Amino acid sequence: MNKRTLLIITGLFLIGAFIVSGCAQAAQPAIVIGVNAPLTGDIPKVGEGSKFSAEMWLEDINAAGGLDVGGTKYPVEIVIEDNESKAESATKANTKLITQDEVLVIVGPQSSKQAVPAGGVANDNETPMVSPWSTNPNTTLDRPWVFRTPFLDPFQGPVIANFVTDEFGFSKAAVLYDVASDYPKGLAEFFKGAWEDVHGADSVVAYESFTTKDADFSAQLTKIRESGAEFIFTPQYYNEVALIAQQAHELGWDAPIVGSDSWGSAELMNLCGDDCKGQFFSTHYAAAGATGATKEFIDRYNEKHGYVPDDVGALTWDTMLIIQKAIQDCGTITGDIATDRACVRDALAQIKDFDGITGKMTFTEEGDPIKCAVIVQISDAGEFEFYQQVCP
Amino acid sequence: MAVTSDTLPTNRERVGTLAARISEPFVLVPILGWLVGALVAVLLEQFIGLPIARAFGMVRIPALFGILIFFEILSEIFVAFVELLQVPSMILMQLPDFLLFTLENLAKLPGVILYVLLIYILPISLVARLTVSPSNWVAGKLFNFRSWLSVLLHIALMYLILHIWTDVTDYRLLVARLILVSVIITLSLNVINGYMGEFSCSHPGFIALGAYGASVFTVGLFVNDNVLGTALLPETLARFMFPIGLILGGLIASLGAILVAIPSFNTRGDYLAIISLAFMFMVKSLFENLEVFGGPRGLGGQPDLATLPTVFFWTIVGIWIMNNFVRSTLGKALNAVRDGETAADAMTVNTRRTKFTAFLFGAFWAGVAGGLFAHVIRYVNPGTFGLQMLAEVLAMVYFGGLNSVQGSIVGATSIQLLGEALRPLEIYKWLVIPLLLIIVMIRRPTGLISFTKFDFTSLIKPKKEPGGEV
Repeated sequence: MNKRTLLIITGLFLIGAFIVSGCAQAAQPAIVIGVNAPLTGDIPKVGEGSKFSAEMWLEDINAAGGLDVGGTKYPVEIVIEDNESKAESATKANTKLITQDEVLVIVGPQSSKQAVPAGGVANDNETPMVSPWSTNPNTTLDRPWVFRTPFLDPFQGPVIANFVTDEFGFSKAAVLYDVASDYPKGLAEFFKGAWEDVHGADSVVAYESFTTKDADFSAQLTKIRESGAEFIFTPQYYNEVALIAQQAHELGWDAPIVGSDSWGSAELMNLCGDDCKGQFFSTHYAAAGATGATKEFIDRYNEKHGYVPDDVGALTWDTMLIIQKAIQDCGTITGDIATDRACVRDALAQIKDFDGITGKMTFTEEGDPIKCAVIVQISDAGEFEFYQQVCP
Repeated sequence: MAVTSDTLPTNRERVGTLAARISEPFVLVPILGWLVGALVAVLLEQFIGLPIARAFGMVRIPALFGILIFFEILSEIFVAFVELLQVPSMILMQLPDFLLFTLENLAKLPGVILYVLLIYILPISLVARLTVSPSNWVAGKLFNFRSWLSVLLHIALMYLILHIWTDVTDYRLLVARLILVSVIITLSLNVINGYMGEFSCSHPGFIALGAYGASVFTVGLFVNDNVLGTALLPETLARFMFPIGLILGGLIASLGAILVAIPSFNTRGDYLAIISLAFMFMVKSLFENLEVFGGPRGLGGQPDLATLPTVFFWTIVGIWIMNNFVRSTLGKALNAVRDGETAADAMTVNTRRTKFTAFLFGAFWAGVAGGLFAHVIRYVNPGTFGLQMLAEVLAMVYFGGLNSVQGSIVGATSIQLLGEALRPLEIYKWLVIPLLLIIVMIRRPTGLISFTKFDFTSLIKPKKEPGGEV
């Protein structure tokens, strides 16, 4: 291969390039929404719930022939990025969505360890982001571009404390939580604070912890039994809840075990069985006995994917609808991505009394929602039945 | 290479001759020539990349040499194929749709390939080939004048190329910074696992110590934070104090390494692996329980200090120092310990001191890399430094090659790029990457480029004497 051949090849390529460029067409402007979800890694089920809900929403939009903004129908695209349940992948995925895919708004990431760093990226790049699951205050703190749809733990802790006080009249609490995991640890602290506000210092008679992936809780449960506690509060995930409830009953514990929104998974009853029946937990929505839009969503999801959606699925559904409302409230799509993003952010901040399937929502200055929690009782049929609603 | 007409060449020979034929015109191109070519390519992309990408049917410049688009297309076809198989009775009905979809997606490929050819491959090879004489002349003059100046010039040129390349999108910038950080991590683990031949699993622990050390330093001193309190010094100072924070992080990691090194003096192989693995978990649960540093919620709000020049600088310094370390007498002692500890002992190598130094040295650089990592992501939490990170760093070392600087650079870059490119495959990604690792381990048990010496000064030498015959 000599210089001449090289030159000839170059010439041919350049000619080819110009011919192709002559045929280039301008692309149809579309609304692109990014979903940053943990499809692999520690919590794939959570990512899957979000993905399915987002896809269902897209189906609706496509069936309507696009998203109607100010009288014009725009085609909508969803770009789903896997963040592998890792902090650095979540920032990479967000950067890619913002700079490469030029999304209008980002949904996700779900868990706080990804949402906190990813929220920083979204805020620095002035792109609105709505996390459907993260409860860590730092996700939205001092970040005008970042929002979330679940209620926060400082609200949920007192909700449970007040519910148990009113319902059972107990005054001695035991807490069993995972010290190595962000969410249970935070919620355990907020609960403890709220309980002690009502019943005085030392009213939490046992405050026991374990580490992620522990499977034997007999030491902690024995201590709890001996402490004279009247109930156990355990803000754990469904797999641990099953083990805790079973082991507690084996040790002769027959008082209530109360939980938080992390209990609300379709898997819970498969693992826990009879041991969880009759127990209470606080959550975002009650699947059993739901009516109206909530029931419609649950039935559709169940039919398509074969299981009742977890709270993350329902919260993502609400997030998609909130985004839709914000885009529509915005009025026009200019095509200039920076202007449109700013417009959507402002519209999000002004959302009031949004009627979602997980309750009415109004965003605060911080981008956190003011919304009600639901107390759910697990029925004998293993369904999560609505018990009462607690509003701030 | 002469092939006689009556003996047909085998496939391997054909590939060999083809490779030789393609590389033949480029044999005499010095590194300087390649760098100038790359500079031309990135400048070309900067100025006319977008119109060309648009002309080839892409919305914007492909971020990572088109490999992202390539795998996106593959994964879309793959997902469609899986969907097709899910309803066996409908296969025939849906087959035309599927084929159409496949064709539509495949039709995007030539544009990407053309773009890569036109923007990268063609300019680089042309410039490299056409400037053989001048670049050799300049390289020779520079090298004979002051070899250190020549080295500095080459590095400056590399930085310039990287800077212009990452200027196109923030995504490239982030990926490039993370790759540079992982090069330091891989090389520092290679010192222990490759050059010293141990199997240490404590690296995520060292990285965590460095990340937290540097973060506590910068966040505590320069940022108003609700975990660590108000800033003690103005934030403008942070830029200048950052190296101190990084070195502090490295030293803390070294301190942690002492904890692993002392009990592991008399152990090798599996036992060291277990001790170091235990250390990794200890560090993780230490930070989970240390409420002052945010506990499991992690520590965020690091100032944006790990910019591309900073990370590039530390990577170059890291490679330079680690390369000198493994080529020193102590480095030879490391190899001796790896090949036979008793024999090394008999040959007056102080094996205990050697292992100790190498462990502390590797941990120091892991700590520095951890500090950089924390400031690239601008958030650290204990969960990051677990088994998943361990698997990744080990994969980078063993994929790239043991006992080799080039191998570490190649391993870190390729695993990081692959991880990025295969993301659209979602769960199947974890089928593809391990499979690739297995293939590499079977074909090349010590990694892609292993047991090499890295000598930058001899690399940048001109390929022919100035004024000499071709």
